[in-house]
Amino acid sequence: MTAPHLLALALLVLAAGAPAVLAAGLASRRVASGLAQVVALAAAGLGVASLWGAHGAYALPVLRTTDPATPAELTLFPARIATGPVVVTIAATVLLVVLAVQVFAGWYLHDDDRQPAFAATVSLFAAAMLLLVVSRDLILTLIGWEVMGWCSYLLIGHWSRKGSARRAAYKAFLVTRLADAAFVIGIVALIALAGSSDLEQVLGASSDLSRVTSSVAGACPDTGSCLGPNTALINLAMTALVIGVLGKSAQIPFQDWLIDAMEGPTPASALIHAATMVAAGTWVLTALHPVLFEAPVALWVLAVATAATMIYAAFTAFFQTDVKRILAWSTISQVAVMLSPLAVAATVDDGSAAAAGHLFSHAIFKALLFLTVGWLAVLAGSTAARDLDGIGADSTFAKAVWGLGLISLAGVPLTVGGISKEHVIDVAAWIGGDGPGLRQGIVTVALLVTVAMTAAYATRAYEIVAGRRGAPTPQAQATAAEHGHRDAGPLVKGTLALLALATLAGGLVFLVGPLDPGHVSVGLLALSVLLIGTGVVVGWYLRPDDSLPPARLMTLASNGFGADTAYLKVVAVPVLALARLAAFVDREVVETYVRAPGWIAALTGRGADWSHAKERVSTDLVWVVLGLLAVAGVALWG
Amino acid sequence: MTSLDITFLATGAVTIAAALLAVTTRQLVHSALWLVLSLGGLAGCYLVLGAELVALVQVLVYVGAVVVLVIFALMLTRAPIGPSAEHSTSRLHRALAAVLGAGVSALLLAVLLPLAGREAVARTPVDSSALAGDLFGTWVWPFEAISLLLLSALIGAFSVSRLAGGQTGGPS
Amino acid sequence: MIHLALPYAVAAALIGIGTYGVLARRNAVLVLIGIELMLAGAGLLLITAGAVGGDRWHGGNILTLFVITIAAAEVVLALAVIVAVFRRRDSIDISVTSAAPAHPEGHV
Repeated sequence: MTAPHLLALALLVLAAGAPAVLAAGLASRRVASGLAQVVALAAAGLGVASLWGAHGAYALPVLRTTDPATPAELTLFPARIATGPVVVTIAATVLLVVLAVQVFAGWYLHDDDRQPAFAATVSLFAAAMLLLVVSRDLILTLIGWEVMGWCSYLLIGHWSRKGSARRAAYKAFLVTRLADAAFVIGIVALIALAGSSDLEQVLGASSDLSRVTSSVAGACPDTGSCLGPNTALINLAMTALVIGVLGKSAQIPFQDWLIDAMEGPTPASALIHAATMVAAGTWVLTALHPVLFEAPVALWVLAVATAATMIYAAFTAFFQTDVKRILAWSTISQVAVMLSPLAVAATVDDGSAAAAGHLFSHAIFKALLFLTVGWLAVLAGSTAARDLDGIGADSTFAKAVWGLGLISLAGVPLTVGGISKEHVIDVAAWIGGDGPGLRQGIVTVALLVTVAMTAAYATRAYEIVAGRRGAPTPQAQATAAEHGHRDAGPLVKGTLALLALATLAGGLVFLVGPLDPGHVSVGLLALSVLLIGTGVVVGWYLRPDDSLPPARLMTLASNGFGADTAYLKVVAVPVLALARLAAFVDREVVETYVRAPGWIAALTGRGADWSHAKERVSTDLVWVVLGLLAVAGVALWG
Repeated sequence: MTSLDITFLATGAVTIAAALLAVTTRQLVHSALWLVLSLGGLAGCYLVLGAELVALVQVLVYVGAVVVLVIFALMLTRAPIGPSAEHSTSRLHRALAAVLGAGVSALLLAVLLPLAGREAVARTPVDSSALAGDLFGTWVWPFEAISLLLLSALIGAFSVSRLAGGQTGGPS
Repeated sequence: MIHLALPYAVAAALIGIGTYGVLARRNAVLVLIGIELMLAGAGLLLITAGAVGGDRWHGGNILTLFVITIAAAEVVLALAVIVAVFRRRDSIDISVTSAAPAHPEGHV
């Protein structure tokens, strides 16, 4: 079995696992949870096994709709999935994170009556992400992308009895859907450009572009007219695609849905943030990086959006009153970091490697952080900063896992996060390139600022959990008591410990594995260590006292600086107004055409009715005879 | 003018005069009676034209049966005895009707008179036995169809009167 | 020997008078009388044609017989309808406007 076969099998196991888990849930929640974990374990095992498999390609047979021998202009099917060293690494990471999440959810949602549905959705979600990772066909990518969007809606709205969870789910769905429209446009444009949805052909078409246009330039009266449309189309396609990615990755201006998504269960957050949905955009752009490279407009959009997002999100994260929201903002910031090398890399390989590397390390440490905060929140009964205050002060284990996760998040050198972050900065700063341009400058500065700010909010997050200042609120105590201070079992703690170990040892993957650690520049490394130190000090002294009522800035930051209101005003209100207008036009104008024949018929009928009511047989007979006379006269002499 | 012409003129005048009175009289029963006279005159016309059998049948069927039926109908519909203006339409309407009637006549004359020619023609006497032979020979199937028609008319009339009476239980 | 113009004129006159009777009368039975006169005119035309044409199968005479028979059948049916209408409406005046029950405002 080659790696693609193994991963296709994992895909099958996960996808088939979802309905199986749901069915098992009819019998027993415990069985369903166990089955989900077994499914995840099997998939993870296949994923790990694929690391040793040979590289190759495998055509998914299910999508074969036409005979492949038949020549078709648009050769869509069969769609290919394929693996390479990076692909199997990321796929295995995704599957391991999914396994961790399933194990954790088995404990976390122990007393939730909808646990089977949750586990099944996670399984389907994982299948979709895996499909997206191994896909070498844009159609498959789109399928994975859309299924993930749907699953994220289900997961965020898991506690759908809560109004806020329902709203968060709607919001996530609508915001990502809005961006997905652009994504679909981009995909379609790329397929149209290449004449095929196969990734190799799409990449080939874009690289052919410059060669073809230069070779036929002599035949063109005007080089611009030959060159123009295709580059314009590539720009358009990739910009639309980047907008879709920005939406799914919660970048500015779509950032707010991810914060509201904290209404979902913590394992769902861990899954969405760590390895799947939010990072999916990075993977799609990584796979399409050669094409993206040809689209300067898309590069600029991506660069500006990520630079703004990473600083804004890191800044906002510092002032959150809720630890889960700190992590959510940090995800937004880190995904921006993840996307930024794609926008500014000197070469195609540099950008892809840096982005994939940060995707890998972010998956590990963000899964660790979310699962840890989920565990601590169960102990504290709340995720609010004042309730989590000092929750882990007495537990070395809690301090260790939380601290390791945050260290990695802050990007301290030699942790997994540190290595990939350095790589990103190196790529952005164009070490070894021809020298940075404006775009690279913006992104590099933003990255460096983000490094310091990340260290600051990581310090604060650590202090909340490890240092004690006040007593938790009675409400949180009540919630915690209700859960009976149900501490996690060894399985969960073991998972956390393994993830914590991975944040340390994951760096080895960069050394021995296929992920490129980049060219480490001593100067930049020293600079970022300095910035991290500054951030830690600043975070230590500036951190707000969580036992006090939050300051105005914190309230504002907790509300995402009014992004939700802005969404309502800028998007929802105009859209609703437009919808009303459309409904009005439809009702009053379009339907008038439909109703008009009815009116005419009714009027005619009424008129005929009226004239019949006036009618007398004697008069009618006169008309009949008159008519007969006329007919006879015409027949005789006409 | 031949003798036949004069005879025909007499019977035709009676027929037309009676017909005019039938459609103009203000008394219902008189109208029916004038119809009898008109149809009788027509039978005379038939005789003049040499169609004895048809003339007899005309008297038999029309005068003997149809007019009796008409008078029955008048009685059943409680026709008022005595003159009444209500049997005719308004003056204007009648004027229009007269114009149209004259128009119909004019149209027919315009077609028929050119066909008639100016010369008198010999009438062909009709032998009744030859007529009967043709009726039950050449025309036997139409004849049978007519008998079926009469039967269905009988049933139809019966069912129409039954139907209306059963549904309303009307005054009669 | 006979001039054909006479019977033709009488037939045309009968049909015209019948038309007038149909149009000028309000009583349905009198309308029927008008129709009978028109049929009589038609019969006269047939007889005239038969009398002078010397047709081979005596079509003029026999068709007139048929017309008389059909007229009898028609009279029977028409009178049945008239009587039925009278039972329902209590009137056989054809110049009253017809009732339109579905639209009360059209009820004149």
